[in-house]
Amino acid sequence: MSEMKKIKNLKDFSTSADRFEGANLLCPGCAHSIIVREILNATNDPLILSAATGCLEVCTAVYPYTSWDNSWIHIGFENASTAIAGAEAMYKARKRKGKLPASCEGKSPKFVAFGGDGATYDIGFQWISGCFERGHDMMYVCLDNEVYANTGGQRSSSTPIGASTVTTPAGRVSYGEKMMKKDMLSIMAAHGAPYVAQVAPNKWKDMVKKIQKGFATEGPVFINAMSACTTEWKFAPDDTIAISDLATDSLVFPLYEIENGTKLTITYRPKNKVPVRDYLGAQGRFKHLFKPQYEYLIDEWQKMVDARWEYLQRREEASV
Amino acid sequence: MAEKMELNEVEVWDGNMAASQALRQAQIDVVAAYPITPSTPVVQNYGSFLANGYIDGEFVLVESEHAAMSGCVGAAAAGGRVATATSSQGFALMSEVLYQASGMRLPIVLVVVNRALAAPLNVNGDHSDMYMGRDSGWIQLDAFNAQEAYDMTLMAFRIGEDPEIRLPVMSHQDGFITSHTAENVRPLSDDEAYEFVGEYPAVNPMLDLANPVTYGVQTEEDWHFEHKARQHHDLMTKVFGKVEEVFAAFEKKTGRKYNIVEKYDMDDADVAIVALGTTVETAKMVAEKLRKEQGIKAGVVAPRLFRPWPHKQIIEALQNVKAVACLDRSSPNGAMGALYNEVAGSLYQCENRPVVTNYIYGLGGRDFTVEHAEEIFKELAANAEAGKPTTPLQQFIGLRGPKLSFY
Amino acid sequence: MKYLGWDELIPGAILFSFSEEMEKDASEILPEDRPYAETNSHEAYVGDWRVLKPVYNRDLCIDCQFCWIYCPDVSIISRDKKMIGVDYDHCKGCGICVEVCPTNPKSLLMFEERIDNDDALAQWPEKE
Repeated sequence: MSEMKKIKNLKDFSTSADRFEGANLLCPGCAHSIIVREILNATNDPLILSAATGCLEVCTAVYPYTSWDNSWIHIGFENASTAIAGAEAMYKARKRKGKLPASCEGKSPKFVAFGGDGATYDIGFQWISGCFERGHDMMYVCLDNEVYANTGGQRSSSTPIGASTVTTPAGRVSYGEKMMKKDMLSIMAAHGAPYVAQVAPNKWKDMVKKIQKGFATEGPVFINAMSACTTEWKFAPDDTIAISDLATDSLVFPLYEIENGTKLTITYRPKNKVPVRDYLGAQGRFKHLFKPQYEYLIDEWQKMVDARWEYLQRREEASV
Repeated sequence: MAEKMELNEVEVWDGNMAASQALRQAQIDVVAAYPITPSTPVVQNYGSFLANGYIDGEFVLVESEHAAMSGCVGAAAAGGRVATATSSQGFALMSEVLYQASGMRLPIVLVVVNRALAAPLNVNGDHSDMYMGRDSGWIQLDAFNAQEAYDMTLMAFRIGEDPEIRLPVMSHQDGFITSHTAENVRPLSDDEAYEFVGEYPAVNPMLDLANPVTYGVQTEEDWHFEHKARQHHDLMTKVFGKVEEVFAAFEKKTGRKYNIVEKYDMDDADVAIVALGTTVETAKMVAEKLRKEQGIKAGVVAPRLFRPWPHKQIIEALQNVKAVACLDRSSPNGAMGALYNEVAGSLYQCENRPVVTNYIYGLGGRDFTVEHAEEIFKELAANAEAGKPTTPLQQFIGLRGPKLSFY
Repeated sequence: MKYLGWDELIPGAILFSFSEEMEKDASEILPEDRPYAETNSHEAYVGDWRVLKPVYNRDLCIDCQFCWIYCPDVSIISRDKKMIGVDYDHCKGCGICVEVCPTNPKSLLMFEERIDNDDALAQWPEKE
């Protein structure tokens, strides 16, 4: 096990030498790159990376440029998990046989896959499930922006109820998306994964702690990272952190972790809880909910978030 | 260290065991696999080798064929020897990733035990899956029996992994007829086989931490065409020479001689059947019989290499015959058979264009019999005599119901 | 990078991050000391995406590093725990750095691209 990088405060953290490069093609204000930077900077271990088809992939490896300073692979939309699992298997095999490249001898690279919520909750679900059941030593990070942003804003099974997307637009007789967001973290915890956690880029310290914990864990680690999308959530690019704060402080996106499928720990309790209304009102995708005929949904939302928070607290107390 | 297996000079193996043994002897680093009839025993045999200490690589039992090939691509890009096996629907499921593997120039070996494609569902052998792979950018080697399945699978590593080539290779055998029929197979010893295959020559491995590399980029209209052209160029110009070189090295080691296009009784042939897989052996037997009994100068031509297509070798083999029958064991679904199209396309370039006809046969494992082959040769003899087709261009044989033919 | 013919390409459409072998992982080498390959996007330019640019005022900065951590484009240059400036080759002008700046007045403000940085500093607002 390599030594954990010491990051006591933000000044310490700022001495990191980034391994994710600028002049990628992600939108101005995109949270994906903030998350990726925080994750990559959380360790100085060598990394072997993969990405699923999606915003991150199409914006960081457009020939003739790569934005990655570690080895990186993209195969398809659904198989970033299995791609990195294959690489991890190769590392294990060549290590056992004493046939690693000289530059890899004695090193313990970390294997990390990135995918959006479309790649994770929908099309790549089976591949991720397979990797977690088999117990590969890898981290899977979902950059959850609750929409197929790369293809122009279609709903995914992560899209929350009431959001207007291009395939579930709000209209005269519709308030937009009808389904509840899939509870991916519970599903991954139910695999018996040693460590799963929700993170948000605005809470960088919580993020770093969890990522370091994830890297120190042997076996498959699932990270669900909230990634506020300026383009599809419809807010100004400079508001990415402010919107993320509203998400975590309203508890729409609670920050917690589950160890070994059971032990749930809440890692952030907002001092001043913000009404869900404020979170919804800051984004164009929920604008229509403030029309009189749909306003009841805002109350429903608040009840849902409260009930979920209550559940998480009771799970934490019960420690089962 | 994996244990060595003591093998007899002659083993009684079916095609699946022959391929499994070749995989074991190649000391693969990662096999990511999923079972499907009729290639399942390849995966089972490999699991059994592992359980008994004969394997020291990783054996990743994934949840689908798509994941099998995805894991293979990740593993191959990381840098090491990789292989898997599949058939039919599994082949279809992994087809997306087949293109990714070849596009990234990753020399994975895929044992394909040929089987029909649904619907309607069928577990038996035909060439639908093999044909499905023909535009995927892989090298396709075809075995006609268990011995050849062993030989082709071993040679596949040495061909595909050569740094000049760096292309994935399919080692095809016919479902059930080859895969489940026990035959005499003469294997190499473990040491000889590994010596022949050689150490894996890593090229741009992701695990080389000193040289970080990006695999699987996006290219649009400004770069895509050049990359595809590069791959096609290498398939068209580099593979034939390498295959000949590896075949020659293998002959030196084993005495078994292979050719890019196999020819039987072709020196003075007037008529020839062109076929793939086990059908070749039936056709050979019938050609010999007809020569003896009826004086028909019959021969058989069989592409050992289906991709890249051996255009020159096909012309060389068939340019002097008068009539050719191309036998396709896959429903062409609205066209002439694929083998017919390839052969006719090549022979169009000859001075002396033979009459070329097409037979669709054996779908879903329907037997191809000696009588079928005799009938075809007799029709070819008539075509040769007439200097033009005396039958429709495309005929179905071994089919119940009214005679089905076109053009 | 100039366009290449099919015969000049590396098979497999792969790209290298660096032009030389790395003795250490990039995390242990500062960007200015890395042998970037011309195929690394670090060598590319997206400054023309900007409508507004962030201008940095050293006099007001407390080096809290909020701008560094939340910059999506690796464009806040910090060395030895001190903010040095903005990388205008890679900054897309999103304005997050300005939004998260806690000083009063802010140590980063958005100005029109055409305004000279010295002129921008001269017209910096007073404490609110």
